[in-house]
Amino acid sequence: MFTSAQLHLARTFLLIFLRDRQSIAFSLLFPLIFMGAFVFSSGDNDPIKIGLINNSDSALSKNFSELVSKDPLFEITEGDEAMLRKELILGNQTAVVLIPPDFGSKNESNELTLLLDLSQVRQLASIRDAVDKSLLSIEREIRSMEPMFSLNIEDIKARPQRYIDFLLPGLLAFMLMNLSIGGSGFNIVEYRRRGILKRLFVTPIEPKDFIVSIVLARMVIVLMQISVILSLSILILDITIVGSLVSLYGMVMLGTFIFLCIGFSLGSLAKTQEAIRPIVGLVTFPQLILSGVFFPISSMPEIVQPIVSALPLSVVVTGLRDIANDGVSLFSLNGTALGIFIWMILSFILATRFFVWKEVAK
Amino acid sequence: MPIVQASNLLKAYPLPEDKNKSFNAVDGINLEIRSGEIYGILGPNGAGKTTTLEMLEGLNDIDGGVALIDGIDVSKEPYKVKSIIGVQLQSNEYFDRLSLSELLVLFGKLYGQESNSEALLSKVNLLDKASAKPDELSGGQKQRFSIACALVNSPKVLFLDEPTTGLDPQAKRNVWKLIHNLKDSGMTIVLTTHNMEEAENLCDRIGIMDKGNMIAEDTPQALINKFAPDPPQAPLQGNIEDVFLSLTGHSLRD
Repeated sequence: MFTSAQLHLARTFLLIFLRDRQSIAFSLLFPLIFMGAFVFSSGDNDPIKIGLINNSDSALSKNFSELVSKDPLFEITEGDEAMLRKELILGNQTAVVLIPPDFGSKNESNELTLLLDLSQVRQLASIRDAVDKSLLSIEREIRSMEPMFSLNIEDIKARPQRYIDFLLPGLLAFMLMNLSIGGSGFNIVEYRRRGILKRLFVTPIEPKDFIVSIVLARMVIVLMQISVILSLSILILDITIVGSLVSLYGMVMLGTFIFLCIGFSLGSLAKTQEAIRPIVGLVTFPQLILSGVFFPISSMPEIVQPIVSALPLSVVVTGLRDIANDGVSLFSLNGTALGIFIWMILSFILATRFFVWKEVAK
Repeated sequence: MPIVQASNLLKAYPLPEDKNKSFNAVDGINLEIRSGEIYGILGPNGAGKTTTLEMLEGLNDIDGGVALIDGIDVSKEPYKVKSIIGVQLQSNEYFDRLSLSELLVLFGKLYGQESNSEALLSKVNLLDKASAKPDELSGGQKQRFSIACALVNSPKVLFLDEPTTGLDPQAKRNVWKLIHNLKDSGMTIVLTTHNMEEAENLCDRIGIMDKGNMIAEDTPQALINKFAPDPPQAPLQGNIEDVFLSLTGHSLRD
């Protein structure tokens, strides 16, 4: 299927990559940083910092302050009003609860005041709910009432799905895009500038041998890098890949093919090493933001959704996510499979169209 | 039959100032290079030397005329021609992070051959550098290494594009010796040069090119006799540099 020249050249490209420790480190760094952020922030949310000003000496206020201090949702600091107001302004406290002096009457409704910095109002709803909930349970305890309702939350997907599970396929897709475009586009411009391409074409290899070798080498490189990230995610972050790994890797290879072709076109388009960077940036950065790597495309304005979801990275992200999160197999992807197919054809035509051999060898 | 034969070889490039017009970088030259000789192409910058070489090597399209290497038409079967020739380019950059012997093995594979990197490196006196990277070599060593790369397929014809440009006298003599040894092994060598001493001492025959044309061709001695027999001040006679300047003019070229 492959000639020994193609295989040896591919092996050489692989060897060059493996000896380039720095670029291996950097290509792994980006996804690792993102995932690392989730290792440290995973688990329970930080308790909300609440200051408590108790101006009442009633048993009820004491009871309230004890109960609320036990609640793991809060980190309570008791103090006088002047100090806590200052802390609230400084941002050391999220909210301050003020218990008035007349607090403690069991017959009439007791009123608490919640002091807030309105610019931090984002958390108001959750703080309010949490305080309400605490008050309710205190009330029940004091009045010795059993709760009338209890809410049981059941996940209909019946499997754990966290943001990191959503994020991982996006990061994988972004990583394979960078590795592929970098490996084809940047390399071609660099090899051409330094006369290395010309030296290669002194020998009786054909342009297609060169392309086949780069594609082979990059496929292996992408699969290796993806496997590192994937194993780390499964081992450390306990990520579940719902679909089959075969489908996932199949999708990765199709995506790699698309971005290698795009890279070849860009590499042929850019005449100099200085030009290739902005050109590649123009293609990759908007996709990082728009293609649903970090948040679903459906959360974007309706009007841009059809355009955005047609981007090559979007198609690959969606494909990977359907496989990893929803267990869809590679062959039943429908719309996404069509998108992948169209991009494969389109990018291949672009690559062969733009790839001027004489230009490359010069 | 000559091993390299070219007739009416033509290369046209669009003019930089007017893309619709073109000029002939190589303007219909004829070449006949015999098997086993060292043939030097001399000429000022922009004379068309490298373009001529690249057309013979199958690296540049031939716009007119015919070039045959060992009877094979370069335009029709460029890959067949490439497999029987060795080429040293002016720029000698290689993939990073590969050693000399790894590069020689790679180039051998590109010809579908297993190359004996040790034998090739000892031929160019670089055996002790086998595991070095090309960018760790000196200018002369780099030049010898690029000749070694051009020898991986045991070529019938070896093309050298300015093999000694930028080398100090010792390194230059070293490369000449190497080229002589290759000639003694029966290889045909075609080289371009700016260096008159090189053309005079190394080449069996010289072709002088100017503005895309071959303006003179003969053995060094015959050219001296013909164009510079007795220079006014020189004790014996002029040298090939005088031949060169009298043919191409004294004005500075870029």
